[in-house]
Amino acid sequence: MLVKSKEASGAGILIAVEGLDGSGKSTQAHLLVQWLRALGAPVHHTEWNSSPMVKSATKEGKKNQRLVPETFHYIHAADFADRWERQIEPLLAVGGVVICDRYKFTAMARDGARGIDQDRIEMTYSFARDPDLTLYFEVDPEVSLSRIMKGRPNLKYYEAGMDMGWTEDPFESYKKLQGRMREIYGSISESGRMIKINSNSGIAEIQKNVRKIIADSIDLSNVTLIEADDRRAEIHHIDDGARMRYISPEGYTVLRHGVDED
Amino acid sequence: MKISGRLIVLEGPDGVGRTSHARLLSQRLEAQGVATANFGLARSALISEHIEANSGQLHNFGPRTRALLYATDMWDQVVHHIQPALDAGFVVVADRFSFTPVIRESVRGTSEEWLHGLYSSVPNPDMVIVLDAGPRRILHRVIYTDGIAELKGYESGMDLGHSNIPTVSFIHYQKLLRGRFKQLAKENNFPIVSTKGTFEYTHEEIWKHVEPIVSDLIVKSTN
Repeated sequence: MLVKSKEASGAGILIAVEGLDGSGKSTQAHLLVQWLRALGAPVHHTEWNSSPMVKSATKEGKKNQRLVPETFHYIHAADFADRWERQIEPLLAVGGVVICDRYKFTAMARDGARGIDQDRIEMTYSFARDPDLTLYFEVDPEVSLSRIMKGRPNLKYYEAGMDMGWTEDPFESYKKLQGRMREIYGSISESGRMIKINSNSGIAEIQKNVRKIIADSIDLSNVTLIEADDRRAEIHHIDDGARMRYISPEGYTVLRHGVDED
Repeated sequence: MKISGRLIVLEGPDGVGRTSHARLLSQRLEAQGVATANFGLARSALISEHIEANSGQLHNFGPRTRALLYATDMWDQVVHHIQPALDAGFVVVADRFSFTPVIRESVRGTSEEWLHGLYSSVPNPDMVIVLDAGPRRILHRVIYTDGIAELKGYESGMDLGHSNIPTVSFIHYQKLLRGRFKQLAKENNFPIVSTKGTFEYTHEEIWKHVEPIVSDLIVKSTN
C-alpha cells in the first residue's frame, strides 16, 4: 500500500507531516526527529515559514495586513524554496533524512482555501517532489480548536483568515478557513498522497503509531548512520569531561573514556 | 464612461537606457495630460526593503527562491498599485515587467515553463518595447558612468561560470540576454528599438510606438 522510499526517489528520505493547527503534528514531528537522531541517522528538521531570509518579509506583510492570496501564496513558496535549496535538497543529495513540518500540501490547503487554483499551486511547487511518506494528522475540529485556544485569547489575523473578509468574527472566520482546509486535506489524503493518522488520542500512542508506519513503509537500512564518536552534539560531558555518554533509542547511556580532539 | 488605463512596458538589459527612457516617457505623457504611474522590479512595499537590505544576499539565493521573491514583489505591486491605477485610467509605465525575471533566470537554467507560470495572470501589457544595444556598447556605458568596479557578480553573470574576468563574463552574459530578448520580441511581435542613436532620437522611436496606444487619452491643446 505504501510507497517504499527507494522506489520513489533517488537518494535520501523525505518525510512530511501535515494537518490542521492543533492536530499535534509538530509534537509528533519533533519526537520523530529525536528518535531518528538517537538512531544516528543524519536527520534534518525544517518547519514551514522558517527561512531565515524570507521569514522577516512575511512577518512584515502579515503585520501590516498587506498580504493578499496571491502574495501570501508566493512569499510562502519563496520561503519553502529557500529551505528546499539550502536544507532539504542538499541533505537528500547525500542520502540523509529530512522531516518537514508542513510541506506543499499546506499551501494546497491554505492557499486553496483562499481561492488559489490547485493546479497553480502544484505548478509553483513543482520543483519539490512528493515526500516518500506524508503523515496527515487528522483530528476532530473540537479537539484541534480546544488545543489551539488553550492559553491564547486571540486568533491572529491571517491565522483566522480575516484577510478574506468573510465575517467580522475571527472565531467564525477561523472555523470557515479550517473547514475549507480540512476538505482539501481530505481529498489529498483520498488520492493516496498522504497517510491518515488518527490524532485524537494521547501523544505516546500516536507516536507509537507514527514509528510503526515509518518502520513499515520506509527502508532505513540504506541510510548511512553517523557513528557514535561523530555524534558530538549528543555527547554530554560528565565528571571532568573524560567520560561521556551517548543517547540511544533505548534511552540508556554508554560510558566510555577519552575523546579524540582534533 | 470609464476608460481603462494602459500598461506600457520597456524591457531590455541593464545599461540599455531603459530607466532613463521610462522617466522621459512618463514626463511626456504627463505633459500631455495623461496621468501615469510607474512600475519597477523590486519596488514593492512588501519586499523592496527586504531586497534592498539584502541585495548582496538576494542574488546569493537559490534560483527558485529568487524567482519566487521577484514574483511576490511583482504581485504585491500588481494588487496594490498597478491594477488600481489601470482601473482608474492611468497609463502605467513599467521599467521592465515579467519578461526580465523570466529571461534572467531561464538563461541560468530554471525551467521557462515554471517561470512563466508565476506570472501567468498578471495584467497583459498593451505595448512592450524591447530596447536593444550591443554588449560592448553597454559595457562602455558602464565603464564611463558607474565605473568598472561596479561590474558585479550577478549582473555580470559571473555565476554562470563562463569567465572569472568580470568584463569578459559581462559580454558573454549580455550576448545571452540579447539573444533571449530578440527571440521574445520576434515571438510576440514586440517592437525592438535600438538605443545606439542619440537619446532624443531613441525617445522619438519609442514614442512612435506608444502614441497610437494612448492617443485617446491625450489632452489635445485647444489654442
